[in-house]
Amino acid sequence: MRLPRATRNLEGALTALVLALAPLTARAQPAPELPPAIQAEVQAAQDALARGVGEFDGPQQSRSIVVFDEVIARLEALGARALPPRGKDVLAQAYEYRGRAYFGIGLSEKASENFRQLVQLKPDHALSKERVSPKVVELFDSVKRTLVGRIAVSSEPAGATVTLVSPGGLRTELGLTDFFPIEVLAGEYALEVARAGYRTETLAVSIAAEATETRAVPLTRVLASAWFVVEPAGVEIWIDGELRATTAGNLAPEHHEAARAKGLDPARAAARVEIPNLSLGSHALELRRRCYQGVKRTLDTPEPRDYDHDAIRLEDSLASLKLSSDPPGARILLNGEARGVTPAQIDGICSGKVRVEVKHAAGKFVKDLVLEKDEALSLDCPMRPTLAFIGVEAASAGGLRHLADADERIQQNLAQLSSLNFIAAPREAVDRMLEQDKLTRLSLLPGSGSDPDLVRKVTDRMAASLDVQGFLIAVLPEERLQRTARLHLLAAGNTTAEAVEVVFAEGPAYAPLVKRLDVLFASERPWSGVVTVDTLTQEGVPVLRVVPGSPAEKAGIVAGDVVLGADGQPVKATADLLAAVAAKKPGDKLVLHVRGAAAGAQPRGVELALGASAREIPLFDPQLVYNKAMMDLRAVVEGYPGTEAAAYARLNLALCAMHFSDYAGAHEYLQKAKAELPLRPGLSRGTALYYLGLALDKLGYRPQAVEAYRAAADAKDATLIDNDGPAVASLAARRAGP
Amino acid sequence: MRRGWLALLACLAVAASAAAQETPDVQARRLLEDGRAYMAQGKQKQALDNFNIVVSSFPATEAVGQALLEIGRYHMEVENDPAKARAAFEQVTKQHARSDAAPGAYYYQGMLTLNRATTPAEIDDALAQFARVETLYPRSDWVPRALAAQALAHRRAGRYAEATDLNRRVSLEYPASDAAASAQYEIGRALALQGLPKVAMEEFQQVRNRFPQSGWAEPALQRTTALYRLHGAAKPSFAQDASFAPAAGDLLKDVRALLVSQTGALWIASEKTRNAAPIDAAGKLGAGFSAEDPRTLALSPTGDVILASRAAVRFGAKDVRTFTTPPEKPGAPPKPVEKILAAAITPGGVVLVSDEDREAVLRYDAKGEYQGTFPGGRDAAKRKVTRILLDGEGGIVTLDRDEKTVRVWDESGKQLRSIGPVGLKRPVDVAVDAFRNLYVADEETGVHVFNPQGQLVTTIASPELRRARALTLDASGAVLVYDERAQRVLRYR
Repeated sequence: MRLPRATRNLEGALTALVLALAPLTARAQPAPELPPAIQAEVQAAQDALARGVGEFDGPQQSRSIVVFDEVIARLEALGARALPPRGKDVLAQAYEYRGRAYFGIGLSEKASENFRQLVQLKPDHALSKERVSPKVVELFDSVKRTLVGRIAVSSEPAGATVTLVSPGGLRTELGLTDFFPIEVLAGEYALEVARAGYRTETLAVSIAAEATETRAVPLTRVLASAWFVVEPAGVEIWIDGELRATTAGNLAPEHHEAARAKGLDPARAAARVEIPNLSLGSHALELRRRCYQGVKRTLDTPEPRDYDHDAIRLEDSLASLKLSSDPPGARILLNGEARGVTPAQIDGICSGKVRVEVKHAAGKFVKDLVLEKDEALSLDCPMRPTLAFIGVEAASAGGLRHLADADERIQQNLAQLSSLNFIAAPREAVDRMLEQDKLTRLSLLPGSGSDPDLVRKVTDRMAASLDVQGFLIAVLPEERLQRTARLHLLAAGNTTAEAVEVVFAEGPAYAPLVKRLDVLFASERPWSGVVTVDTLTQEGVPVLRVVPGSPAEKAGIVAGDVVLGADGQPVKATADLLAAVAAKKPGDKLVLHVRGAAAGAQPRGVELALGASAREIPLFDPQLVYNKAMMDLRAVVEGYPGTEAAAYARLNLALCAMHFSDYAGAHEYLQKAKAELPLRPGLSRGTALYYLGLALDKLGYRPQAVEAYRAAADAKDATLIDNDGPAVASLAARRAGP
Repeated sequence: MRRGWLALLACLAVAASAAAQETPDVQARRLLEDGRAYMAQGKQKQALDNFNIVVSSFPATEAVGQALLEIGRYHMEVENDPAKARAAFEQVTKQHARSDAAPGAYYYQGMLTLNRATTPAEIDDALAQFARVETLYPRSDWVPRALAAQALAHRRAGRYAEATDLNRRVSLEYPASDAAASAQYEIGRALALQGLPKVAMEEFQQVRNRFPQSGWAEPALQRTTALYRLHGAAKPSFAQDASFAPAAGDLLKDVRALLVSQTGALWIASEKTRNAAPIDAAGKLGAGFSAEDPRTLALSPTGDVILASRAAVRFGAKDVRTFTTPPEKPGAPPKPVEKILAAAITPGGVVLVSDEDREAVLRYDAKGEYQGTFPGGRDAAKRKVTRILLDGEGGIVTLDRDEKTVRVWDESGKQLRSIGPVGLKRPVDVAVDAFRNLYVADEETGVHVFNPQGQLVTTIASPELRRARALTLDASGAVLVYDERAQRVLRYR
């Protein structure tokens, strides 16, 4: 008896679909990891089954029997206990198809034998008359009836897991109580009924074919439960150091009254929550939630029953922060959440650990705080540039094994830097950015032959992407007695890195480097505008010149006066006067004791309000880390756009670039500095024009250089070094030529 | 005993093994450093041995360039053998052009050329050597020294503006280099020589402000003092220092010459005591030189005191020379110079001797060979030069008492300028300061100060100065003048 071909084809397609989805289903539910050999065997059997089904649906159905034999032989060889669920399904399918194939060629006995094996493997297996011939179904059902009985189990309380254990020890989990009759193989079994918090009950059961056994099992409680009502929701309940539940939802109305009685607001309280399976005795109870004060209690559960714990209300735990920065207008992030700009007073901050990030184009400030309840903290947030450590490279094969150690030590020790934020950049992100231009870390370093403009472009782009202002690259050189690392510092937008060597495994070896890097170049100094000279013949120091518009001129000091003292201290040499000025701040008052040039002139006191003189960065100072200075100067340029400070920072950035012979970079800075710097005596626009001429000369643009020199020569009172330095005009005129 | 020998042998074996483990580079570097240490201790021969071993035994090491450089310096500075020195430096620049010694070799080749340069072309040749340092090795430590050397070459050629420019670069661009303080000092000097005393004072003061620990801070103070005295106020101001009264007994009688040495001691040459002797700053009289009929005192370019007496000239403590001129007829003996009036020696080693008999200044080379008169050729004239001195910028100053004229010449004998006879009554001595200002002592009128253009700046006179006879200046430009009537030395500060 055969079904029409269309029906059979549909059935075959469905079987194929089921078989194809079987592995997916298996993957979806995490199953114990099977030995690879078994997995391979099951897969081979499944493939053979698919072939067999194809044959079964073909014109010569009987040829499929050989294929199903192979499937069954493979899987039976593994043993029923070792078979995974997918293997059992495949085996059951093989039995069914082989039985049906035998039936198709008139071998009913063989068909019955296969159905018997099928039922023994899966007692609840059924054949549908809609897809299988009714005669086959009838034969299958007749076989099944001789082998299968039913069992129904209930428990008090319900929800217990029921397991049927055969005399051979095969365990079959039937489900959770209470359940309706389930088909099982007839026979003698041990029935296990288990529920958390209750003693497991085991009873013998004999199931006859076609009979239905029913068991009602009372369970004995051995553990306790505790019920909690907590305000608010989202509170973690920890018992004996283990997180057992988190409150959620709304409190049911029947508990409102009790909650209210304990001082809770029922509208804010979470749903009543049970913590089951508590062993008998005492437990440490702790309730936690961010922004709330934690609660610690002792929970006693002496008997195996339910306990209703007193309702608990967690109190708010908030603090406040007052943040300011220089420059202001920096974005504030608290634990990554935007909270306005500086200056700001921020209330209602959850106590506990808070990461404060204050970000500005000039740099950023990062600090991890632990705030106490009701704490009010004021923080001045200096904007520091950020130095990104972009990794260690080995110059020789011998260095490769030290990479990880060096990486860790360098990160650990340079975290001491106080004038820079030091971070480790994500290696993969850096690799990606460098690969865009076919660069490596080493090709950013001097001697690599890389195009300086490419280095400038790449470092600028990396800086923008990583939100940093400079980079540190470590290189482990060839083997030495002490493991050293060359640390290369490269400011974003610069072309040349500077290197310092450290014995990377020795913490104290980093101290001089940290000290050097933490030096901040003072871009201005207090200034009087009086230029004096030392002599062996004069008492005090004669005034050679007074800078026009300077504090000294405003105070009435003139050339020829002799400075005898400053703030009550004698001035015997110019160094004494300079020291007196240097000890002050711009804006401070300084009283000079001065004698006039005229014969018989009496000494007089002159009060000066000190000004500020900008300072040039020296072109070659072996103590200075120019890349670090560039990071600081760029912070000023970014942080104070349009100000004089930014203009002088650009001038000094140009000098730093010239230090590295990067005259193109210097030219760019000077073009802007020239436009921004004021036209006045001292370090000023004329200074920038003079250096612009130098840069243009170096770049080979002589006519433009001459133009710049001539413009500088017109700035009559402009100076170099600082406001008291040598005059620009004569130098520039000479460089301009006739 | 036997055990002791064994222990010693074991120690030697360990030491030999340790030495054997050193790479040739390390061994060569060690020999080089040891050689430099010997050099610093004055053990030049031992130093040279070390450098030669590096060159001969470790020819493939990095230290060879430096060793050759040191060998060149040895020949240049110790043996004064420019040819050998140049050969060593050229070996560095040709065979070790990539070593860190190469810029140093170019620098020293330039110095060898400059030291012997007398023509603009030779100076330009030296300039080209120095310029290679910055062009070829722009980041070398030798760059600031080479720039300063270029400045020196320009100064030698009288191109003060160029010299200032280069020294400014050293001072501004290489403030941490060992050449920076001297470069800053040279800026002051060049500006002063260009007649810009106030700016020069500022530049000298910058030496003190920016490089207070350098050896140039003290000379800068002396220069600012000298300049301020002349140009600080509306009028130059020389005040007699009443506290200055050195006591030297008969040495202060019949004084013929005064000189302040580089150590600051005041040398006095007296006809009465027939010697010249120093008095230190504390007033203590030191050992001097005896001399029959002493005439003048001068300083050699290396700082030695030169005492000219009637028949001989003493250069420092031990070198006493007499002079002759070639015989007038072949076969006749050379004719001795028996009435020396004055003597001096130029930086090039030329000795100038004024002879009263021949009424000429005679010129001798470093070996004492007569080279003719100074000046020679058409400028030669009969003159009784009673004082010869050098002005520090290549100028030679002479005083002819009879002609009442002070003349300034260049080394080739070309007259640059003169003072007198108008305005001078009885000039007896002359001095020159670091800025080429001339100080002329006149028996009748005191001490006249003339600027480099020959204009009278001021006259130093006071009731205490009744008849000036001899004159000198100290490092700070203070004027020390011997008053013949009072038989004392007066100081004007």
